[in-house]
Amino acid sequence: MISIKGLDKWYNSLHVLRDINLQVDEGEVVVLIGASGSGKSTLLRCLNRLERADRGEIHILGREINQTDKDLDQLRQQVGMVFQHFHLFPHMTVIENVIEAPIHVKKMNRRAAERLATELLQKVGLADKMHSYPHSLSGGQKQRVAIARALAMQPRVMLFDEPTSALDPELVGEVLSVMKELAQDGMTMVVVTHEMGFAREVADKVVYMDEGRIIEQGTPEQIFGAPQEERTQRFVSQIYN
Amino acid sequence: MTLLEIFQTTFIGFSKAAWQTVLLTFWSLLVGTAIGLVFAFCKISSNKLLNGLAQLYITVIRGTPLIVQIFAIYFGLAEFIVLDSFTAGVFALAIHAGAYIAEIFRGAIQAVDSGQMEAARSLGMSYSLAMRLIILPQAFRRSIPPLGNQFIIGLKDSSLVAYIGGTELWSAGLGAAADNFKQFETYFINGLYYLALILLFTGLLRQLERRLQVEKRGTQG
Repeated sequence: MISIKGLDKWYNSLHVLRDINLQVDEGEVVVLIGASGSGKSTLLRCLNRLERADRGEIHILGREINQTDKDLDQLRQQVGMVFQHFHLFPHMTVIENVIEAPIHVKKMNRRAAERLATELLQKVGLADKMHSYPHSLSGGQKQRVAIARALAMQPRVMLFDEPTSALDPELVGEVLSVMKELAQDGMTMVVVTHEMGFAREVADKVVYMDEGRIIEQGTPEQIFGAPQEERTQRFVSQIYN
Repeated sequence: MTLLEIFQTTFIGFSKAAWQTVLLTFWSLLVGTAIGLVFAFCKISSNKLLNGLAQLYITVIRGTPLIVQIFAIYFGLAEFIVLDSFTAGVFALAIHAGAYIAEIFRGAIQAVDSGQMEAARSLGMSYSLAMRLIILPQAFRRSIPPLGNQFIIGLKDSSLVAYIGGTELWSAGLGAAADNFKQFETYFINGLYYLALILLFTGLLRQLERRLQVEKRGTQG
């Protein structure tokens, strides 16, 4: 479904992505882990072209998307994204946040969009907050709305950029459980996170990055139980100590 | 002649002239806001030509006195088209206010968190759709206080149209003082009319701000 080949990216002289090669299959949950500044968020943002890599190819749903600027809006309709800081639209109610893109981008009629939004908000447990404004929600609630908003475009892939990093510890669980459910429903997901419990439990593939490189990738058992590379071993042992 | 007598003798003339001032201000600020919006977009655009154009306009307008601009438009354009003083006044005031309003809008647009644009684009919205649905509504809200300030300045600036033969409030003041030779009292009363108009406007503005306050949200979605 997603195939990344030989991706390189620089910020001026800083080499932030180095020869990235990665495959994500349909229905797979891939979790990117690594220290801050290892390039995992940048890599994720390349997948819906919020960033553009300087070299290499990204094929998503059978289309190369790194080399061309054409049809990016269409690509983004298929690839949902959830941000660390939610970025809900503050001037709109919760349900307006969710229906805005389906109505204006997909040209869905308002009633159908509202029905879909209601369904999604029920799914993330926020049907009672439909007519609230974002400022009155907790961080965990905001993030669940953001997930519903992305899902309302009925994407084929979901990208999560540190979705729980801005949350108070007691609110992390509610967001992760929504993500788990989504994974069980068979959504293809690429997740950047520091939540190793989530990676262990939900990931089909864990990718460890350091200094812009993929150091090692494998199943959670391989990466957390028997890492081959020295750097991965050091990272994993730091987490558990 | 007492202050009260002067007030009574000038009342009808000043009231009519005050209405002219309101009209002049209304039209010039309406056009000025449109100009400001266009140039705000030019200034944040990545197009170098539009950018330079906006920069030139703003520099020239902010760098020269309003009275010069009013004379330039009234007498300068008279070579090509005949404008009555009201129309010339509306355009001069609009072009003048437009430069300041452009900066107000530009600042307000750029003050919207960049994550808002990213979130909108990530949902498949085009740049212009995201601008219209997500960025501008937030920017407008933020621009109301500085815009209100600019509108107050615009109302007072309209007095300069008196010098190209306008029939607004200040020209009525000049005329009345020339008739009754009571300069201080007449101008004092004339000033009270401006004060009244501005208090009225400020009151309306406060109502608007309070209504938006009810729906006030945090800066972070």
